Amino acid sequence: MIPVLAQSAQPFFRWSYLIDEWDQIQAALLQHLQLTVLSVAAGLVLSAMLAATALRYRWTTTPITSFTGILYTLPSVALFALLAPVFGTQAVATAVIPLTMFTLLILVTNIIAGFQSVPGPVKDAANGMGLTPTARVLTVELPLASPLILAGIRIATVSTIGLVTVAGIIGQGGLGRLIFDGLNRRFDTPTIIGAVFSILLALLMDALLLAASRAATPWTRRARA
Amino acid sequence: MDVTLAQAALPREISLSEFLFSAELWTRDDGILDTLVDTAVLCGAVVLAATLVAVPLAAYLAHHGRGEIAVTWMVTLSRAVPTLAVAALLVPVSLRIGLGFEPWPIFIALLLLALPQIYINTYAAIRGADRGVVGAARGMGLTESAVLWRVEAALAGAVIMTSIRVAAVQVIATEPLRAFLGGDGLGRYVRDGLGQNSPSQIVGGTILIGLFAASTALAFRGAERLALPRGVTRLSSNAT
Amino acid sequence: MLRTFARRLRVLTVLLLLTLVAAACGGADESTDAAATDAAASDTDASDAAAAPEGPTIRIRGQDFSESATIAQVYGQYLQAKGYDVEIVAPAGFRAEAVAGLQNDELDLIVDYIGGSQTELAPDTETSDDPDQVIEVITPAYEEIGATVLEYSPAVDGDALVVRGDSEAETISDLAGMDLVFGASAQCFERPQCFLGYTDPDIYGIEFADTVTLEFGPLLGEGLAAGEVDAVVWNTTAPQIEEQGFKVLEDDKGLHPAQNIAPIVMTDVLEAYGDQLSADLNTLSAAITTEDLVAWNVQTDIEQREPDDVATEWLEAEGLN
Repeated sequence: MIPVLAQSAQPFFRWSYLIDEWDQIQAALLQHLQLTVLSVAAGLVLSAMLAATALRYRWTTTPITSFTGILYTLPSVALFALLAPVFGTQAVATAVIPLTMFTLLILVTNIIAGFQSVPGPVKDAANGMGLTPTARVLTVELPLASPLILAGIRIATVSTIGLVTVAGIIGQGGLGRLIFDGLNRRFDTPTIIGAVFSILLALLMDALLLAASRAATPWTRRARA
Repeated sequence: MDVTLAQAALPREISLSEFLFSAELWTRDDGILDTLVDTAVLCGAVVLAATLVAVPLAAYLAHHGRGEIAVTWMVTLSRAVPTLAVAALLVPVSLRIGLGFEPWPIFIALLLLALPQIYINTYAAIRGADRGVVGAARGMGLTESAVLWRVEAALAGAVIMTSIRVAAVQVIATEPLRAFLGGDGLGRYVRDGLGQNSPSQIVGGTILIGLFAASTALAFRGAERLALPRGVTRLSSNAT
Repeated sequence: MLRTFARRLRVLTVLLLLTLVAAACGGADESTDAAATDAAASDTDASDAAAAPEGPTIRIRGQDFSESATIAQVYGQYLQAKGYDVEIVAPAGFRAEAVAGLQNDELDLIVDYIGGSQTELAPDTETSDDPDQVIEVITPAYEEIGATVLEYSPAVDGDALVVRGDSEAETISDLAGMDLVFGASAQCFERPQCFLGYTDPDIYGIEFADTVTLEFGPLLGEGLAAGEVDAVVWNTTAPQIEEQGFKVLEDDKGLHPAQNIAPIVMTDVLEAYGDQLSADLNTLSAAITTEDLVAWNVQTDIEQREPDDVATEWLEAEGLN
């Protein structure tokens, strides 16, 4: 009834999988990128609001940073498991909400630190030039705070790429799907592809964001040189 | 028979408060308390091992100005390596060589998570130690190893402690994966809740893990205040 | 001021680039989906142009293990070949997630093991090894969530209490005095047809030395082979049982329920297609045998082929597509 086992000793890595299942790999990569970008973008919007609140009303800083700190301590597996019955396993929200929550600590901390790093005399000068507070924040403080904010975005993006794989447990998770598929079948090739590609994706996004932040803040290099 | 009964599933309809506040669930054999200790021992061992390896290595290399390139790559790698994949791939290996489901696969995977975090920050902190202070120490005739351990390490202490705290929190938040790989630990409640369709177990487990991580972070902060020499605290508060 | 403007422009450019990447991802994903359905549609035009059924899209998803993934591919591809508009969703979760998928309108069709459905939907009812009796229980339970259970297949993937080949036990009752370490997934420990039944003094009354919770799948066999556990709850069609020389114990007290596979369809979708959809699905279910399930599992889990390819080949060999 059962065919003789042809491949009881599987090769460590089956290269043909890369070609045969490229469709699957590509779809997984795209979903991975999509979940990452959505989560970091949503995290950025939320963090901007939280950081603005913390900077405007000083007393809220400790509650806000503690709150984002607590969110960071929650295990991602549990959050995916909890939201799956609420929104459905297929829903983007099930994956994106926990991933967004995990970006908040890094982004809020860096946005606050960024704005706090703006020297007082610079703000005074801007006020002296007759800028309105809004104009001062947008034209003077934001550019000066941007190196730290962009660094936060980089860290958040790379961490999110790593965490997306865990969403494979609810059938999403981009490359995490390949990891879980391989684990379920003791077929190492998809697992290795999932892990290696998510690392490569992280390195690539890191390099891209680094290049972008250098392009956006050329004065940081000038100052150092 | 007692052992078996203690391991039977919690009732599906258990409420969250019953789960969190039942003295019996906490204190029974293999109950919440035992599980907490189990988790704490594993996480403690991981963080200790990571610290013992990463701090001396990073300090030595940073002092001699070597291994800079490795650091920048490690920052990204450490965040992107999927811990679950590493642990899960190691489980069959561990079983085959007779080491069982636990603790090595999850230990190694968590170590890979904690090591770079501590290494990177120690390296950066030692490199960033106030050159003026270091120069003064050399001028006072301190040996190179005294400069490293008594001056640079002391100056970098705050950053190193912070990195160990962050690593500990990450390890605690990631350790629940262990429950999905033939182990227990606090993640067991999440796993059982998922399998048995019982949200209060998932929520209860999540709360326990979160509380454990948060109180660990608080304990570290307390220790940081006590342990750092007053001179260093003054130096770093002047700096900011 | 001009320089500040230039800087802001750069910042904006970066943000724009990021948004574009996001948009491109979203767009690309949709277009590949569309391409996939187009391809499926043109395939069917070629093969079965005459009787393309009209109705809503049928979304089908397997549970997160190979056999269920292959079954979903078999049913999905079969319907596609018949000209139905089908979306085969990536496998996720287990039974609870499958039923939830029907309830919250993520899915229209699942294929489940009937005894498993009974323990999920009506955990307090008496189980039976007679499939017709199980169907009698689950049919009204599924009706409550607006779904219809179609005819069950002769293919069975039953629960199996599995021990190493060198064990002296032949039946589950034999385990009573053996002081073994028991391994099973989390679901088993709260079920009367599983752990609770094995340990119930009125049924098997086995006293295990210890228990280990293991995720359902190859981990069970690996733990068993390594001697970490001595008896595990697996399924009868798991190809590793034969491959590794394990032994399925006889369920001498008839605790395990009948586990034939059966398609479950949302009733509104079923009715939208008239009698055609149920007739087509019943034809397919009747053609699948237990041996097919085992053969599929050997191909996916041991020869490491992809479930979609395995399904396509089987449908071709049976002349069903």
